[in-house]
Amino acid sequence: MFLALIQKQIKLLLRSPSELLILLAMPIGLILILSFALGSIMNGDLEITNVEIALVQHGNEEEEIEAFFQKANDTFPIADELRGQIAGMVPVKLLEEQIMENDELKEFVHITKVNEKDIERTRNNGEFSAIIEIPENFTYDFLTYQFLNGEKPSFSVYLNESKQINSTIVQTLINDFQHQYTLNKVLNENGLLLEGMIVPSPEITSTINTIQSKGEITSKIYYTFSMAVMFILFTAGTIASQAFLEKDSHIFDRMILARIRPITYLFSIIISTVIFAMVQMLILFTFSYFAFNITFNQLGLYLLLTFFLAIVVGGIAAVLSSLNYRNNSASASNVFSNAFVSIFALLGGSFFNISSIAPGMAKIGLLTPNGAALDGYLKLTQQASFSDLLPNLTNLSILMIILIVLAFLLFPKRGGIA
Amino acid sequence: MIEAVNLTKSFKSGVAVDHINFYIEPGEIVGMLGPNGAGKSTTIAMLSTLIPPTEGDVLLHQKSVLKDQNLLRKVLGVVPQEIALYGDLTAKENLFFFGNLYKIPKKQLNERVEIVLEQIGLENETKKLVKHYSGGMKRRLNIGVALLHEPQYLIMDEPTVGIDPQSRNHILETVKKLNEQSNTAIIYTSHYMEEVEYLCNRIYIMDQGRIIASGSKDEIKAILSSENTVVVKVNNNSNAFMNELFNQPILTNIKADEDKINFTIAKGVNFLPNLLSLCERHNVLLKSFQMEEPTLEDVFLHLTGRALRN
Ligand SMILES: Nc1ncnc2c1ncn2[C@@H]1O[C@H](COP(=O)(O)OP(=O)(O)OP(=O)(O)O)[C@@H](O)[C@H]1O
Ligand SMILES: [Mg+2]
Repeated sequence: MFLALIQKQIKLLLRSPSELLILLAMPIGLILILSFALGSIMNGDLEITNVEIALVQHGNEEEEIEAFFQKANDTFPIADELRGQIAGMVPVKLLEEQIMENDELKEFVHITKVNEKDIERTRNNGEFSAIIEIPENFTYDFLTYQFLNGEKPSFSVYLNESKQINSTIVQTLINDFQHQYTLNKVLNENGLLLEGMIVPSPEITSTINTIQSKGEITSKIYYTFSMAVMFILFTAGTIASQAFLEKDSHIFDRMILARIRPITYLFSIIISTVIFAMVQMLILFTFSYFAFNITFNQLGLYLLLTFFLAIVVGGIAAVLSSLNYRNNSASASNVFSNAFVSIFALLGGSFFNISSIAPGMAKIGLLTPNGAALDGYLKLTQQASFSDLLPNLTNLSILMIILIVLAFLLFPKRGGIA
Repeated sequence: MIEAVNLTKSFKSGVAVDHINFYIEPGEIVGMLGPNGAGKSTTIAMLSTLIPPTEGDVLLHQKSVLKDQNLLRKVLGVVPQEIALYGDLTAKENLFFFGNLYKIPKKQLNERVEIVLEQIGLENETKKLVKHYSGGMKRRLNIGVALLHEPQYLIMDEPTVGIDPQSRNHILETVKKLNEQSNTAIIYTSHYMEEVEYLCNRIYIMDQGRIIASGSKDEIKAILSSENTVVVKVNNNSNAFMNELFNQPILTNIKADEDKINFTIAKGVNFLPNLLSLCERHNVLLKSFQMEEPTLEDVFLHLTGRALRN
């Protein structure tokens, strides 16, 4: 009986071409489009004119570093060798190094230091793909932020819209850079760097190096996962809409008359969603595997993460179904598919890496099912271990429990037939 | 026996079913007649335990089923007024799905599906998706699904709405056979008089949430036994003639449609001579004069002053 409910649901989905189009064809199309629009950066198979970046630095870096040492001295003494290390960590240097160390990039990315006075002219003459403007005290703020928990500093980037591909490259660079920059901060907060500062040891440096030298997240990888975690959400909306059709057409009455308990029915919605969502993910990943050669080392962890995500999506489908039954309309699932999926996708970083624009929002993003999963998948592409994945799995577990409990509480007695 | 005792359902918009008493014995076909909005479907939903009544009780063999709905659900089949089927599944898939919900063992279900397909005359159309069926075929499958678990009682809510005469006849025959061969008790809801007259021995007439008449066909028609319906056809009808006709105290329910005039008159009164002289005075030509047996339609008109369908 339960099996019949599941079978029915899967059959119905497989027989609605318009739904399949949205759930499978659209993400595949978007993965292709987005990857190729941005993917050429990685392959170099698109003719890219030189990317000229102007760097305008206000203030004096040396003085700022010195000012930081003065301030830090009140809190902890800084050994000489650490001074050297810290001086090597200033952001502008890091950014430069990041570009110059990258074999593919250094061929065509050039950084030109531009004097403060020339900034207006630089902005207008359009020869640069991007202008990076480092404000006064940035280095000081940056170091304070890193080591003494100060305010997070920011710098400005002006992208030249007319050089779209080039400015996309710069954006990616900046994103990567900020990613590391946040990573340093995270290491610091976890006590890793702090330890190293008091007793500086080369091991700490090497920790940082290992992380930095891990595989790059190409746009193919990024969009494969970001689209997958976005479009898996549509599955919840679709299944909840179909569930409402069952009430609307009085098929649900027939189930009640056949002595199917509403709990059983709701449970069947969750299980069929989990099954379909898993299959959907497997299809998308298989596609990327063959189309892009994206490798899935530690397949078990990928499957585990996908399974958790799928259960959360099952929970969403159940909550939406309950709301639909309650309101006697498909409004809940419609609103979810038409609005909430986009908001979740935005917060979760499916459109672009949100942490580069609004780090606060990115934290919220990790609370969305798609954001938590995307972050997990990206970690896995960086060879993360099970324990690295734990925060993501925890978030997903909390979500699934809340959603499933909520769904059963919300489902109206007798399905709200009246 | 299924019984409804003082069954009542109030919605915010008003009382849909108002203290209805009703019963059906094993093996009989009972008709439930009423115009749109009479409360038939609401009554059925309560009878079949789908919605709880505001007041009153539903009994199966003298035991209330409001607390233990499964008692009744086991022996009951319901054909809803709506087509409650999956359009994206075939007839067979629909039947197997609902049969599985009833936990009918596999082998037995295979047999039941074949039997039901034959009963509803769809044995040659089993591989088409239901959404590609004609309205009549959908109606038939809608009935078939309710027969899988061989219910002792079958409730059918307007099973012939909006379909061609051929499918309609087929359904009427199916219902009749089902009752005769499997001794299934059937509550047949409709606003077609002819169907109820043809199928049912006992009839309930509902209007505005109440049962306004009930009994055997003859008993119900006997409500009009003191009256006859007369249909008169004339030529050269005039207002003066009609006015005088309306002023005749022994005539009731007078209705004129151009040259055709209907009225009711107490049994045993011979109005023909009066009519003839009336015609002569107004220079109206009497073409025909016919006394008719009352129909259920007349009964409804008599009871409510309204036609059953419009
Ligand atoms: N869920 C509901 N909420 C409010 N009013 C309702 C509800 N269901 C039915 N009604 C009202 O109750 C009355 C009886 O409706 P019902 O569907 O039982 O009539 P019916 O005899 O089956 O009519 P039809 O021949 O059109 O099917 C109608 O006035 C209807 O508007
Ligand atoms: Mg009805």
